[in-house]
Formats: sequence, C-alpha cells, structure tokens
Amino acid sequence: MKKSVIAALAVMVLLGGAAYASFFVAPTERTMGTVQRIFYLHMPSAITAFAAFLVCFVANLLYVLKREQSWDWLGVSAAEVGLAFVSVVLVTGPIWAKPVWGIWWTWDARLTSTFVLWLLYVAYLLLRSMIEDPERRALLSAVFGIFAFLDVPLVYMSIRWWRTQHPQPVIFGGPGSGLAPAMWRVDLLSWVALMSLMALLVRYRYELEALRGKVDALRLVVSEREPREAEAQ
Amino acid sequence: MALLQNAGVLLEKELRAELRSRELVTTTVVFILMVVVLFSFTFDPTSVESRRFGPGMLWLAFLFAASLMLQPCFLREQVNDTLSALRLSVGDPFAILLAKVCANTLFLLLTELLLLPIFAVLYNVAIRDILPSLALVFFAGSVGVCVTGTAISAISAQARMRELLLPLLLLPLLTPVLIASTEATAALLAEDHVLRWDWLGFLLAFDVIFLTALWLFGEYLLEE
Amino acid sequence: MKNLGSVFAAYLLGWGIFFVYFVSVGRRMASLRDDVERLKKLVGRDK
Repeated sequence: MKKSVIAALAVMVLLGGAAYASFFVAPTERTMGTVQRIFYLHMPSAITAFAAFLVCFVANLLYVLKREQSWDWLGVSAAEVGLAFVSVVLVTGPIWAKPVWGIWWTWDARLTSTFVLWLLYVAYLLLRSMIEDPERRALLSAVFGIFAFLDVPLVYMSIRWWRTQHPQPVIFGGPGSGLAPAMWRVDLLSWVALMSLMALLVRYRYELEALRGKVDALRLVVSEREPREAEAQ
Repeated sequence: MALLQNAGVLLEKELRAELRSRELVTTTVVFILMVVVLFSFTFDPTSVESRRFGPGMLWLAFLFAASLMLQPCFLREQVNDTLSALRLSVGDPFAILLAKVCANTLFLLLTELLLLPIFAVLYNVAIRDILPSLALVFFAGSVGVCVTGTAISAISAQARMRELLLPLLLLPLLTPVLIASTEATAALLAEDHVLRWDWLGFLLAFDVIFLTALWLFGEYLLEE
Repeated sequence: MKNLGSVFAAYLLGWGIFFVYFVSVGRRMASLRDDVERLKKLVGRDK
C-alpha cells in the first residue's frame, strides 16, 4: 500500500476514535447537557486553525527571506486548510449556541474575532487569485499574510475589550469553570486527530500547488517555443 | 537621517501635487459628507441617538473614504511609470513609503478637520471643550488607517480588480482601529467627556506595530 | 439525551466541510494533471 493511503487511513481511525470518545466516553456536562459534546469538535478545530495560520505565517516569512517557491506553496496550502477549519468552527458554534443560549449568533469576543479571522484569510486567498505572475503573487501575498497574522491578536484584544460585558470564557477563565479530567482527555484526543487531519490536508493541498507550479513552467516552455499556439489556448 | 531627508523631499512632492489639483481632499470631503447625510436616514438623528451612533458612523465613513482616497496613491506612479525612477533615485525604499504614509495621513486629517465642524453642527454635538483630546484620537486612528492603507494600496495596485480589492484587503485589517477609535470618540462625546487612555494607547500600539511591519517588509511591495 | 440531534448535525456538517474540501482539492488536482499531460504532449511534439 502507498504511504499516503496508510496515513489517510490512520487519520480516519483517529477521527473515528475521537468521535466515539466524545459521544460515549466523555461524561455528560451538568448544565449544558448532551449538546456540550459539540465542544470536542468545536474547540480543537479552532486551535488547529490557529496552528494552520501559524504555519502560513512562518511560510510567508520564510518566502520573503529565502524566495523559494516551496514556501509559497506551503503558505497557500496552510491558509486554505486553516480556512476550512475556521469554517467548521463557525458552523458548529451556532449549532451549539442555539440550544444553550437560545440564539444562533452572539457578537461575543471569540465568535466575532473568529469571523474577522475568516474574512482576513478569505481576503488573502482572493488576493492570490487576482495576481497572474507567480513570483509577484507569492511575494505580495506573503507580505499581506504577515500583516494579517500580526492583526489577529489586535483584532482579538480590541473585540474582547469592546465586549467585556459579555459572558466570560466558559473553559479557561474564572474560578469554577474548567473541564473534568476525563473531558480534557477526550478533548486532547480530538485535538490530536484534527491536527493530523490538518497535516494530511496541507500535504495534499501542497501537492496540488506544486503541480500548478509545474503547469506554469510547462506553459512557459510551450509559449516560448510556439507563441501562436500558446495564444490560441 | 538620510531616510528622513529623502522622505521629506518626497513628502513635499506629494503635497505639492495635491495642492495643485486639490482633487483628493475635495472628493473625499464630499464623499464623507454624503455618507453622513445618508446615514442620518437610517436612524433618528436627534442628539442622544447621534451620541450613540455618531462616532461609529463617522469612523466608518472615514474608513470607507480612506479606502477610496488610497486608490490613486500607487496607481498614479504606475500609470506614469515613475515608481522605478523613484526607486533608483532613493536609496532606501522605505523613504518612499514613509512619505506616502505621511502625505495620506495629512490628507485624511485635513478632511477630518474640515468635516468636524459640519458634523458637530448637523448632529448638535458640542466639541469645543474636547477638541485637543479629539485631535489626539483622530491623529492616532488616522495614522493607523494610513500606515496599513498605504501598504495595501501598494499591494492592490499590482493586482486585477484593484478598486474592489483594496477595501476588501484593508477593511478587515482595520477592525481594531475601527473599534478603538469609535470607543474613544464615543467616550469623548459622552456626557462626562472622558479621554479613554486605554483605547488611545491601543491605537498607538497598532500604529507602532504596523509602522514597524511596513519598515521591515514594505520594500518588498515596491519590487519590480 | 436531549439535543442529540444538534450534536449529530454539528459533526455531520463539520466532517462534511472537511470532506468537501478534500474532494475539491482532488478535482482541482485531476484537472491540473490533464493540463500537464496535454502540455507535455505539446512540448514533445515540437522537439
């Protein structure tokens, strides 16, 4: 069997195990009840998304410094995969909020900053689609990616100060909050599963970008050899 | 020091060009005025209401105006193909960016200055006593808008659909500026006229962070 | 087991997003592979 198939199977087993654990192993939360089990998908996805954007930021920095195509490929792959994870966070959040708070969406600090984060990286991908020349695209989007990542903590802080009257974080802040040890273990398992899924998807997406680089190079060869034919395409 | 000298010369050039045509400031003032008037139809513009919504509306108008005002910033250079000449004659490319940041900040501050009395009259808010603090907030906020805005303008000028792309890239980046300046302005316009040092400090921190980022990475935006 | 439906919906949607993304990358990859083949033929023929 190919290595990639084995890796994909392993990730699927991990994900299945995490889902099983969050449905059957984790104890039912006292106040929120069953619906709290969404947490084991929601919160690890958020952390994984941040990890992906961190990878994107580092790749952007390295591209600017070293100018090697592969860093650009890694940057766009991590950004796109991170965006998929943020989308999961944004979708599962309201499903959780509706039965607990009675509303789909609240302009609370974390929800709102996650939404801005989503917008920032959508803008990053849009920018990439608007520049033809691969080198210019790589350089400009890398600088924008750096700016966007620097903006993330500022966005979070400003929205948090702005909405201090809202419910404090249930998980981390304040006495009496926090998770039971069994819950932490399930959460950790879920996080490991999602991180490996992220790594797998980034690798897969990277291959796509590498292939695109190959196509660009071939196009160049063809257009140099026979300009008329290239124009016809 | 050579950096500041170069930037000074370039700034003078930008200001002279604007002084000759006055296009940028005039159109921006009219644009903001239009937004303010149109906004007044969406809520009851009495004094209490305007204290609540006024600051946010004003800063939103500034942000949108800036995203229009910053369009020609690098486009003009591109059309006339002057950017490469500039880069050849100026040793540090950051001087070019710094001059543009300063010029844009001055233009934005000028439009804000022109609009403030009109806004105060239209919405019946007293601003005489809080003018120095208000100037401080406006300055810190406008610098933040123009530092990021100039960088984004350099990026979007090199892409397709640049007119749409600039606000699309800039506005999410400016979320912290919008929140902080709106809160600071709102606190100043409230009954007890407090200057919120925490928000002002936050704005200044934003300015410093992105000015540093522009200093470190800005030169890559001007590469041929 | 109140609200179990919500939990299922969340997991289904979440995994759905990952799956759709995975498939979309695969499809983009397939179309690029076709491009590579075609371009290679073009390059080979001209030699």
